[in-house]
Amino acid sequence: MLFNSLSFIVFLVVVLILYYIKILSWTNKKRMLLFASYVFYGLWNPPLIILLWISTMVDWTAGNRLAKETKKKRRKFWLLLSMFVNLGFLGFFKYGNFLLENFVSLLNIIGLNFEPQPMDIILPMGISFYTFQTMSYTIDLYYKRTQPAKTFLDFALYVTFFPQLVAGPIVRAQDLITQFYEEKRATMNQFLWGLFLLTIGLFQKVVLADTLLAEVSDDVFGTSKVLHGLDAWVGTIAFSGQIFFDFAGYSTCAIGIALMLGIILPDNFKYPYAALGFSDLWRRWHISLSSWLRDYLYIPLGGSRHGIIKMYIALMLTMLLGGLWHGAAWTFMVWGGLHGTYLILERLQKKYLPFKITAYNGIFLAFLTFSCVNITWVFFRARTFEKAWHMIQSMFYVHTEGEKILGNFDIIKVCTVIGIMFLCHWYMRNSSLKEFARGLPAWLFGVFWATLFFLIVIAQGHGEQFIYFQF
Amino acid sequence: MQLRQSFIIAAILGVTAITSWEIYWRCQGVEPYLDDNKDLWANQRQRLQKKPKNTIVFIGSSRILYDIQLDLWRDLTHTEPIMLAVQGSSPIPIFEDIVKNTDFAGTLVVGVTPALLFSTTFPKAPPMRRAIAKVDYFKNRTYAQRINHILSVPLQTNLAFIRDGDEAWDSDVDLGTLLSRIHISERAGPPPVPFNNFEEIGLDRHMKMPEYVTNDTSYANTIKAVWKDILSADRPPPDKTATMAAFEKLANTFTKRGGNLILVRCPSSGLFKEVEAKGFPRHEFWDVLVNKVNAQSYHYEDYPQFQNLFLPEWSHLSAEDARFFTRELIGILKAEKAIPQINIDK
Repeated sequence: MLFNSLSFIVFLVVVLILYYIKILSWTNKKRMLLFASYVFYGLWNPPLIILLWISTMVDWTAGNRLAKETKKKRRKFWLLLSMFVNLGFLGFFKYGNFLLENFVSLLNIIGLNFEPQPMDIILPMGISFYTFQTMSYTIDLYYKRTQPAKTFLDFALYVTFFPQLVAGPIVRAQDLITQFYEEKRATMNQFLWGLFLLTIGLFQKVVLADTLLAEVSDDVFGTSKVLHGLDAWVGTIAFSGQIFFDFAGYSTCAIGIALMLGIILPDNFKYPYAALGFSDLWRRWHISLSSWLRDYLYIPLGGSRHGIIKMYIALMLTMLLGGLWHGAAWTFMVWGGLHGTYLILERLQKKYLPFKITAYNGIFLAFLTFSCVNITWVFFRARTFEKAWHMIQSMFYVHTEGEKILGNFDIIKVCTVIGIMFLCHWYMRNSSLKEFARGLPAWLFGVFWATLFFLIVIAQGHGEQFIYFQF
Repeated sequence: MQLRQSFIIAAILGVTAITSWEIYWRCQGVEPYLDDNKDLWANQRQRLQKKPKNTIVFIGSSRILYDIQLDLWRDLTHTEPIMLAVQGSSPIPIFEDIVKNTDFAGTLVVGVTPALLFSTTFPKAPPMRRAIAKVDYFKNRTYAQRINHILSVPLQTNLAFIRDGDEAWDSDVDLGTLLSRIHISERAGPPPVPFNNFEEIGLDRHMKMPEYVTNDTSYANTIKAVWKDILSADRPPPDKTATMAAFEKLANTFTKRGGNLILVRCPSSGLFKEVEAKGFPRHEFWDVLVNKVNAQSYHYEDYPQFQNLFLPEWSHLSAEDARFFTRELIGILKAEKAIPQINIDK
């Protein structure tokens, strides 16, 4: 079920009514939320709920054993079992076709002709998100960084909680399970703020991403023509805005919906396009994933504890695997590799060419970071290396005779939206939406809210899937 | 932060703005209507899955969709029509779906629009892609999508500004379409001529030409302008060999399992008729197809009563003439005993 759909509006209203009527005890409310979460997921593809159940059962069992077991070998066994099941599902469903294709290519290179039957594997929606979330539970228990869930219901709800089930934020056990222990009710202010977050999240998705940016990005990345430099840049920045508004929109909706239930989810985006460098970017973009990769991959790989060279290797491996997490294609690996390279270059710059960031050079540095990020988006969005390479060549004006496919209005529209987005990120980079709202008179905030709502309704949208559902 | 006050202001302003938007479009002459979208198609396709008896299936493009009036067909033949024609598309993907994914062996009426049927078999070309998209959606649609459709029907049929179409021609009042009509000079060549919608469709995909197109010549002319634009554009030549072979193969499979195949060439006029006569001469396309497949065939040019029918925008019959065409076609089919079911006097 998509947040930007009519069925979700009905679903949410029913859930809220059941949640706030007084006939259900807190345990029954949690049961209702769990059932609703399975309905939310199952309305997409019912049989794939079984994967969620298996993941839940395995990690619940492994978690309990890890909490009780004292012998190191046995503890390791339960951790490895949890990782084997979770990564096994992820590997089969997400990377099965990719691995097979590469295996076949490898055989063809060495002269063996092998044509396997296509596997036609369905990618379960959100598998990367809930897999990482449940794995964090068992890993944290293994390192004794968290307590096991008190009841199976609490744990199952942690794995399946519908607002963040299919596209995050990826929440740690201690941040979410503990919230289920005592009855939660949103205060009126929390409920209304949650409703506002849902509105602004839908505005980002339906109006900004789908209505204003998606078509230009699709046209540019979908054409087989060699493009004029301006078209390549505009298409790329359109995608850059589209993916931000799409994903940040989803996270904002998720946080808002949870808040309407009195549950607090962590922020996932903090104005990332105003980042001053790439370390700053990853503290602001998809925060729940980047912190997951830091805690469960980069640090176990050694982090900065074993010298500079090993740190760079750990950094690059983390970013490459982070790229692969986004999709089973080599283009995603290149995207991750570019970010890894940026991070290494930034550390070298800080060591050998340090300079002070001031109010004057800050916006220039933010713009430079944003421009470099845009180059990486080309590899993220292009379906083939050939397309990505043509785009990069066009962006650097190698193709002076490239074709113009975008109209003037489209260029103005995209540049205006992206320009406003960049400036908003810059001015808000050390602030928050709540602080911004606090500074407005009630009537003006009401007018702003009504404008968002009106634009969502007239844009309508066609229930386009969120981009990150495929990851 | 006084959120309660802000919420009340937002709710009042939001409802007022949407009401004003609806009133504005109604004043502009826009009426609520259903869109001919993938959900309507999938619902009809689902009927075929239930192995219905006494059923006639129609496939093709928009001409047979507009020209066969399903209520009349039902009344006069006592059969249940299932309309699976897809606008702007080749019938080949739908025919393939019926042949491969169902055991339907009843009567299948194929509307032949030469420029679409003989265009291509390349899956990504628009005439193929549109039809393939419908079949894929039917196979893959989720329960959530089914519920969304059920919920959207009352909105579409009661609010003028609500649209739920799949194609660019379905939308005319949503924000994206309104913005797409703004053009500042012509950097990437002349902008496409805006397409004005002319659908009036029911949940059973019974399509009628709306009265405002029949009665308002200037409105019909805006649609003709789009046809002129499309017909004058550079296009790849028809792929007669591949399309003919694909259709023949499907037709043979279908008739061998006992299916009754009927080909119908619906009327066209004006520029369409001229272009079709030049680009798809009857003796090179229609006649060859009819000879290749074991099917009964009916070309509108062979019947005096189908001459001089009124096609307000050259390609589809007005509602009144579509009823005449349907009634007369049924008469011809009965006379020739072309459909076993409709020869039984009930």
